[in-house]
Amino acid sequence: MVSSVAMTATDTHRTIDALWRIESARLIAALARLVRDVGLAEELAQDALVTALEQWPRSGVPDNPGAWLMATAKHRAIDHLRRERMLTRKHEALGHELEMEQQLNGGKLEASADDEIGDDLLRLMFIACHPLLSTEARTALTLRLLAGLTTGEIARAFLVPEATIAQRIVRAKRTLSDAHVPFEIPRRGELAGRLSSVLEVIYLVFNEGYSATAGEDWMRPGLCEEALRIGRILAELAPREPEVHGLVALMEIQASRIRARIGPNGEPVLLMEQNRALWDRLLIHRGLLALARGETLGEARGPYLLQGAIAACHARAATAADTDWVYITALYDELARLTPSPVVELNRAVAVAMAYGPAAGLELADRLAAQGSLESYHLLPSVRGDLLARLGRYEEAGVEFERAATLTHNARESRLLLDRAAACRRGGS
Amino acid sequence: MPYMLLIVEPQGQRRLRSPEEGRAVYEQMLAYSAGLKARGVLLESNSLRAESVRLDMRAGKRSVTDGPFTESKELIGGFFLLDCATREQALTFAAECPAAQWATIEVRELGPCYD
Repeated sequence: MVSSVAMTATDTHRTIDALWRIESARLIAALARLVRDVGLAEELAQDALVTALEQWPRSGVPDNPGAWLMATAKHRAIDHLRRERMLTRKHEALGHELEMEQQLNGGKLEASADDEIGDDLLRLMFIACHPLLSTEARTALTLRLLAGLTTGEIARAFLVPEATIAQRIVRAKRTLSDAHVPFEIPRRGELAGRLSSVLEVIYLVFNEGYSATAGEDWMRPGLCEEALRIGRILAELAPREPEVHGLVALMEIQASRIRARIGPNGEPVLLMEQNRALWDRLLIHRGLLALARGETLGEARGPYLLQGAIAACHARAATAADTDWVYITALYDELARLTPSPVVELNRAVAVAMAYGPAAGLELADRLAAQGSLESYHLLPSVRGDLLARLGRYEEAGVEFERAATLTHNARESRLLLDRAAACRRGGS
Repeated sequence: MPYMLLIVEPQGQRRLRSPEEGRAVYEQMLAYSAGLKARGVLLESNSLRAESVRLDMRAGKRSVTDGPFTESKELIGGFFLLDCATREQALTFAAECPAAQWATIEVRELGPCYD
């Protein structure tokens, strides 16, 4: 077992890749505080990465590679500010440089205090999810700056051309830079709104991983992992925010079912049909803890805590038949009051159908169909198909499933729906 | 992907430390653990006491042996369960572990026990 003595260049590159995913957010966050520009901070961090890629295959990976990257990047930042000072003689730039020289000489280079890095990371999350940016831009920037994904990886995850993502990121950075968005944690009055913008991005990334809106695969677990990781970091950084714990609870519990959600041939397996023995008990446990943590912080439950509580109801049920649908219905009622939306209403219809029978659920679903607001959303006909089938109205159900199949962009889901349509045509399932 | 880092310590190493040294080592491990948590990868961790009991059931017969076990030179002193994207990432975290300096870190991916 002495093979580890000589790392091959490939090993070193793999190590650097892994390290980048782990350390890049902290690097960029610390640099952004120094140079006050997220785009520049990212470039400087990238420079440090390139230096590592050049040097480490020859010199070996240093003992504390994270600190090495941080030191290298900070030296780049100083060089940059020196050049800037030569050009503009800005007092502000001079001030930063002095501050940095002090840090470098004071031996603080290696380990900035942990809570200092934490604050920087939190600032980075807020700025990447700034309301000035479109949701798509926020999502791309968050995955890039906080998850350390490459442009190519983000593009593959969202099935869009790499150039589109690259452009989105460049534009987002320019927008932030042009608007001189300060690198800071929002003030109290602003905080709630800004935090919900961060939570929304994490939620979107998770959901895209959990039920891919398009493509061959029904899930892309890598995105779920990244969302969870960022969510867990956020929960450490903002422990007093109940909704953060609510979102983490929701994601942990949903993620606990990932193994059970795909059949042997990659086909989707729906919640009620899943083999619950495959659910990850550890993630459920973590999810329930996060939920309890959020709920004890008092106040009325927000949308994420409510969704976390709904997910927890399923997690607690040993079998599908044990599910407490009456309580789930009550939670959806609360959610619908808080954030009224056709999608919430559709989910409420499903819960009502389970708690009080398919006819009651169908009534709600029909009302939604009449409103026309979910016309192109495949889950509406899918739910109606399901309820109609349970009422024995197979012909109508078959039509609904076929409609749903044409509306989804996900190939796996489409196949599942067509199978159900065919079963209805045969007069039941 | 969950990975388990198992801390494999030389048997008897703990007894060579004074209580202060023992606590200092423990503090280092707590700091490491906090660092993992701050980066959103720590699922669970704990340290294990040295004393152990072995049990096996053979042909319906239960046999229990109290340690220490003279034949074993190592003991599992603790574990960290991490959620990592890749094996390399797990190795990178393992390399940061203070215990790598005085023990061995065994890195294992979680998965079914058959292939």
